[in-house]
Amino acid sequence: MSSSKGPTNLERGIKNTAMKLFLFTSTWVASTALLSFGPRLWWNYETSTTVFVVAANLLAGALMLLAFFRHLKSMDELQRQTHLEAMALTLGVTMIFTVIYGSLPKVQLLTESNPTNILFVIGITYILAVMGLWISRTSE
Amino acid sequence: MKNKLKVLRAEQNWTQADLASQLDVTRQTVNAIEKGKYDPSLPLAFKIAEVFKISIEQIFSPEKEA
Repeated sequence: MSSSKGPTNLERGIKNTAMKLFLFTSTWVASTALLSFGPRLWWNYETSTTVFVVAANLLAGALMLLAFFRHLKSMDELQRQTHLEAMALTLGVTMIFTVIYGSLPKVQLLTESNPTNILFVIGITYILAVMGLWISRTSE
Repeated sequence: MKNKLKVLRAEQNWTQADLASQLDVTRQTVNAIEKGKYDPSLPLAFKIAEVFKISIEQIFSPEKEA
């Protein structure tokens, strides 16, 4: 058998779903930005426009989630298991971090806690977990 | 679980990428299975057996490597 050239069906599938995930994530980020800045900058807190943008944001979020599940399904089984284990690890780390981070202002170690910081913990933990698990299983 | 995937692949003169392409998985997955770092799912084990035209038991066995 000759050596395979060019992308395989798996690689084409992953690339395709990754592109769609990028597209829907970008749409969600854009609609979130619009919801954050639009009422003040563009439509002066007009309720019907804000409600429309909230609905658009929810729809974009749902489509992003759907795209993520499709991306996960397009992976091969080792990739999928790696991502699922990374998600489990991220859930645990986030739970521990959220509890302690929420307690810090009460015990006067922080003046206030910003919930947005939890998103950074989620993102960084997930990326590190995927990389660590993948490298540990596939290192030559 | 131990397996004879590396030996079987070498007998066919296939690279990991060749086998991965036939199994529709990544080369890294074939490498992880060969090294015993990952046990494939039952559907993938059946697919591997089909590619080599032998039974699953002739490729995978439950004992650990000595």
